[in-house]
Amino acid sequence: MGPRTSFRGVFLPPQKVSNPAIEDAPLPQRVILPLGQDGDRLCHPVVNVGEPVKTGQLLGQSAHFLTAPVHASISGRVADIRPWFNPSGSEILSVIVESDGNDAWQEEFRSDDRFLEKERVQILANLKAAGVVEIGPPAMPLHAKFGKPEPSREYLFLVGIPPAKPIDTVIINSIDAEPGMAAKGAILQEHREDITAGIKIIQKLVGSAQVVLAVSSNGSSNLALTSELAGLGVRVFRGKDKYPLGLSPILVKSVTGREIPLPNGRDQDIGVAVVDAVALVHLVEAVRELKPQVEKVLSVSGAGMTAVKNYRVRLGTPVKDLLKQLGGLKAEPVKVIAGGAMTGMALFSTDIPVTKEMDALIFQTTEEATSFSSDGCINCGLCVRHCPARLLPSELSKYCEFNMFEEAKDKYLLHCIECGICAYVCPEKRPMLHLLRFGKRELSLT
Amino acid sequence: MDNPMLRVSVAPHLKQKTTTSSLMYNTLVALVPALLAGIYFFGFAALKLALICMGTAVACETGMQRLMGRKLTFLNGSALLLGLLFALLCTPELPWWTALLGTAIAVILGREIYGGLGNNPFNPVLVGWAVARISFPAQMTTWIMPEPLFGLEAGGYIEYPPLEVLRVDGIDIFYDLPWLDLFIGNVPGTIGTVSVVAVLIGGIYLLVRRIITWHIPLGFLASGWLFGLIFWLIDPEVYANPTIYILSGWTVLGAFFLATDKGTVPVTAPGMIIFGAGCGLITMIIRYWGGFVDGAAFAILLMNAATPLLDRVRPRVYGRVKQVA
Repeated sequence: MGPRTSFRGVFLPPQKVSNPAIEDAPLPQRVILPLGQDGDRLCHPVVNVGEPVKTGQLLGQSAHFLTAPVHASISGRVADIRPWFNPSGSEILSVIVESDGNDAWQEEFRSDDRFLEKERVQILANLKAAGVVEIGPPAMPLHAKFGKPEPSREYLFLVGIPPAKPIDTVIINSIDAEPGMAAKGAILQEHREDITAGIKIIQKLVGSAQVVLAVSSNGSSNLALTSELAGLGVRVFRGKDKYPLGLSPILVKSVTGREIPLPNGRDQDIGVAVVDAVALVHLVEAVRELKPQVEKVLSVSGAGMTAVKNYRVRLGTPVKDLLKQLGGLKAEPVKVIAGGAMTGMALFSTDIPVTKEMDALIFQTTEEATSFSSDGCINCGLCVRHCPARLLPSELSKYCEFNMFEEAKDKYLLHCIECGICAYVCPEKRPMLHLLRFGKRELSLT
Repeated sequence: MDNPMLRVSVAPHLKQKTTTSSLMYNTLVALVPALLAGIYFFGFAALKLALICMGTAVACETGMQRLMGRKLTFLNGSALLLGLLFALLCTPELPWWTALLGTAIAVILGREIYGGLGNNPFNPVLVGWAVARISFPAQMTTWIMPEPLFGLEAGGYIEYPPLEVLRVDGIDIFYDLPWLDLFIGNVPGTIGTVSVVAVLIGGIYLLVRRIITWHIPLGFLASGWLFGLIFWLIDPEVYANPTIYILSGWTVLGAFFLATDKGTVPVTAPGMIIFGAGCGLITMIIRYWGGFVDGAAFAILLMNAATPLLDRVRPRVYGRVKQVA
């Protein structure tokens, strides 16, 4: 018998996705580009206030391996360089560019026909220069997945896993994990050539590793793509439409039967690399045209919209401007969520820009917005029945509620993959995910 | 800047419609067939008793919550469910004051004193029932013959519940009972437990609506039946056919409704199977060699005590690697 690949989860209400798959959002007047993904490893700016910039021009870079350079997403003038709030609420040094309305690119991007013949080192250099970042969490620059291994982490020795295992399986994640997300499905539909080209590049990067394209069962069939991929030796994994298949710990388990060692483990530790389909397209653009990542496909839904719409949005567009330009909202939103409905972050301000790690925006009206209660756990066991990490969220939430963090750690709190199912199913509407995240945060501070 | 006031909350931003009230009301709906069967066989005295118990439960819960300064939860149906379950476990002839006292003990000493729904270690219904059964044995075991309101003829074979017949009159007289009467409930006994078919309908409804999982009921019934089978095969002169044990007494109601009471039973799948199996086993042991005729109530109470232990039987969590060092 092979390894078990089944997982617990929930079937979320299905969503409609509008056609055409991807529309271009209008150019923003002003963009705010944070110089990094989190506070520890920021880029330093290479432009000065007042300097004119062109689209695609380098704004900030860093020598640190785990940083991605930042490029101007519109042409214009650098208005300011100052801290600005990112979606998670921390202030990050950001470059603010005022548009001149021309969208003049720094250079003409010419498609290099021989891009598939590039060497591994060259591909990685292109990738790093383009600043492609995967959708979080954790929002990591894509080149880190295939580049030089990170310094070994002590705990891996302790538990007997050899560090820096060579990658033997690459999973292209094109499953839209949560309601509100539709970008990956749209990419699969609209960028077929890019997907095949991307897979070819990845095969070059990882040598003999098996490439698996993970698609959701309910999406468009993509039969043409399937036959094309078969020639490349790519396996197509058709998962069932069950949440949280799209989250990488569960996807890795479903495809390979292997589990990412937790806590702190990554997919690389077990020789797997998960690359999401959106990042794959940016990878192709980076290698083929040397085009930096200045835009991204963003799924927008909620507030009376009947279907999820995908927009190609310039990075750094403030959510407020986006909201104004897109129109189409039937009702005034009271809640704006960056990310999917299950794990996304509610924004406290619409001044927050679209960032590289954001892949969906959900606007909720008063009726759509949910709330939590402060009632106690009734021990019904629904969260236990559905927890994909096979934890006892009820027990953990009580430990965290009463500040018993060490006890929670002993009960494997750190193995929680933060899918949000426990809070989704809780009949008492307890803020389960919040309590577990709170416990993890407290533990990380000790 | 014109910035609208936005609501901020933690993920997820989507919730399942299931609430505590929907769980409770669904369970109440599932008990309706059993109650209807009770009314059918024992007349409207059964309905009266159910209303008394439900009213008492709601009143006691509200009173206690007022007293303790807690949020009032009479709307979520848990007190109604408790009252109805208590009534279903009583003989239709029960005096009103016994029912009232038993329900009050169930709500106050069985549940509210621990902090309300989900925090009580023992099934509150059974706590109330056990107190009443031990304190007022005469009232709790006064049986009446079933008199179906229409259709069926009264099952006039025995004057007290089947398991008591088995204990007192012996196995030969017991075998004279038609099995169909046992199945549809045309025998003396407690309001809600006589009709196995009505309880089964409710139990299957709970399973289909996914209010409960199969683990506890299956573990309960299978272990009880298998244990009975072993002894029946050893000596059929002394030990009766195990199927009869399933069809009589509280076995089915216990398996689907009492042993699945939320909060007092384990939550992990292996824990639930062991819990169910333990209930079935202890039920049969008490029936064979114990002092009480029907052991289901005490079996569940005993296993309730083992719940914290059984909750430790849990599956391996995701991503756990064995320590080598």
